[in-house]
Amino acid sequence: METRSLGDTGHESSVLTFGAIALNWLEQDGADQMVELLLDRGVNHFDVAPTYGDAELKLGPKLRQHREDIFLGCKTQARDYDGARRKLERSLDRLGVETIDLYQVHGLEYDEELDTITGEDGALEAFRDARDEGLIDHIGLTSHGNPQLILDAMNRIDDLETVMFPLNPVVVGKDGEDHDYEAVLERADEQNVGTLGIKAFAEGPWPPTDELPEADRPYANWYEPVDTPAEIEERFDFAAAQGLTSVVSPGDPKLVAMVLDAARRYDGMDESAQRSLVERLRHDESPVPEQLHH
Amino acid sequence: MDVPETVTTALEDRPVAGATCLEAGAGVGNTTAGLLDAGARRVYAVTNDADHARTVRERVGPGGPDESDRAALLEADLRDLPLADDSVDVITAHGLFNVLPPESLDAVASELTRVAESDCHLVVDDYAPLPDDAEMRDLFSVEDAATELADGRPALTFYPPAALRRLFAGYGWVFDRRRTLLDPVPWTESHVEAHAEVARSAAERLPDELGGPLCEEADRLVESIGEESVGEMYSVAMRLAEE
Ligand SMILES: C[S@@+](CC[C@H](N)C(=O)[O-])C[C@H]1O[C@@H](n2cnc3c(N)ncnc32)[C@H](O)[C@@H]1O
Repeated sequence: METRSLGDTGHESSVLTFGAIALNWLEQDGADQMVELLLDRGVNHFDVAPTYGDAELKLGPKLRQHREDIFLGCKTQARDYDGARRKLERSLDRLGVETIDLYQVHGLEYDEELDTITGEDGALEAFRDARDEGLIDHIGLTSHGNPQLILDAMNRIDDLETVMFPLNPVVVGKDGEDHDYEAVLERADEQNVGTLGIKAFAEGPWPPTDELPEADRPYANWYEPVDTPAEIEERFDFAAAQGLTSVVSPGDPKLVAMVLDAARRYDGMDESAQRSLVERLRHDESPVPEQLHH
Repeated sequence: MDVPETVTTALEDRPVAGATCLEAGAGVGNTTAGLLDAGARRVYAVTNDADHARTVRERVGPGGPDESDRAALLEADLRDLPLADDSVDVITAHGLFNVLPPESLDAVASELTRVAESDCHLVVDDYAPLPDDAEMRDLFSVEDAATELADGRPALTFYPPAALRRLFAGYGWVFDRRRTLLDPVPWTESHVEAHAEVARSAAERLPDELGGPLCEEADRLVESIGEESVGEMYSVAMRLAEE
């Protein structure tokens, strides 16, 4: 599988990153098999979080067995020093490892949060102390919030080495600052910050729960995913062709094998085909056939 | 409002900033919005369709999503433009030519040339003829058959890029570059339905024995096609040779 430099971290990440939330829905045997499959196919970057149910615990055994072959990303939603420190120690404990390669501020959403984490007694101070102690190696940020906030964070956090954010053809087709994740990608490239793409496989939000109760959803994802091999492949190709360092796999284990297959076969995507996908989804989104042309 | 990537891609290497532009065949105003976005000094958006004129007027008018005092909507025929000789720097025809029947090509090319400045840029974006095995091609055939019978002219004609290049070469335009905007072209369910609807409404104006089978075939094709990604949308850029 293709690998790309993850910013200045010195790590060469596989173009597919495993979103380890998928392990939460598997029994331990299944989780072990999935990790073996991923490693066998060349995936070397895993991403987990304490909020993903049992995922840390289920990743633990195989992670410890193959610790050298896995670049491990983890993250915390704690915004203050003490909270972040406690969460980090808990993740290390649940994963059963000495260090986490990439520790990320998880799900940054509001300006105030950015003030808190960068301020005195903020989470980033805890991250830096942990880095000095050798508990973590690199600092990152994840957000599906406003791109302008992510840009602001990149300005304000000098030692930020990776950003994780949504990128897919629907987002790319929308103009305006609120959807301009391409600006984040561009800035990250300028600053040599590694980029990890999420929501690459999102088809759209789930129907409202009175139409489709949560318990009746066929997939464990936050959003309704595309789920045919052809769609998965074009979505993977699109995300990888935007220039992200790595594309994060979707949360449902049923989809992982298809995504793996697409990632292994990835060999670029023509720009005219990328635009074709953007156009197709733009028209899908529009409620009435207001136009006959592209 | 969002400017489609087809439009931004076609315009990105053209000197639009500060230019006086003519958007020939304004449609719903996507290229008008794209030209304004790219910093045009003035955009004359021309259409002969009253509904399109209203849509574009609302889009660029006061309070519209692409409000601008740099845009002017002209409801006029492209074969007889209310613009002075040598008055525009950039002309766009995005998805225009496929709605022009062959017999009006010369009149339009000649009129566009008349209003063009001596080193004017022209961008022609359109669909290449679809491959023989495309189902969409069958739907367009039904649409064209119905409109030809009902109105005496086909709804659509897909010109190969070389044909339009030669047309404009005859008026002094020099080829600059060609790009592929879309490959394949995504004919979505909403496109399929909209084209079938054009076919049906023309067929309904025909005697039953003619219109009935055309309607049925349109319905069958909608079912059978669903959506289809096929064909190419190209962008050809030309310049008017200095006199
Ligand atoms: C498919 S639309 C073009 C789409 C548009 N350029 C855009 O970017 O959204 C074609 C337009 O050309 C106009 N048109 C066709 N023949 C014309 C003519 N002879 N004179 C003026 N407008 C014409 C139609 O009314 C329609 O508005």
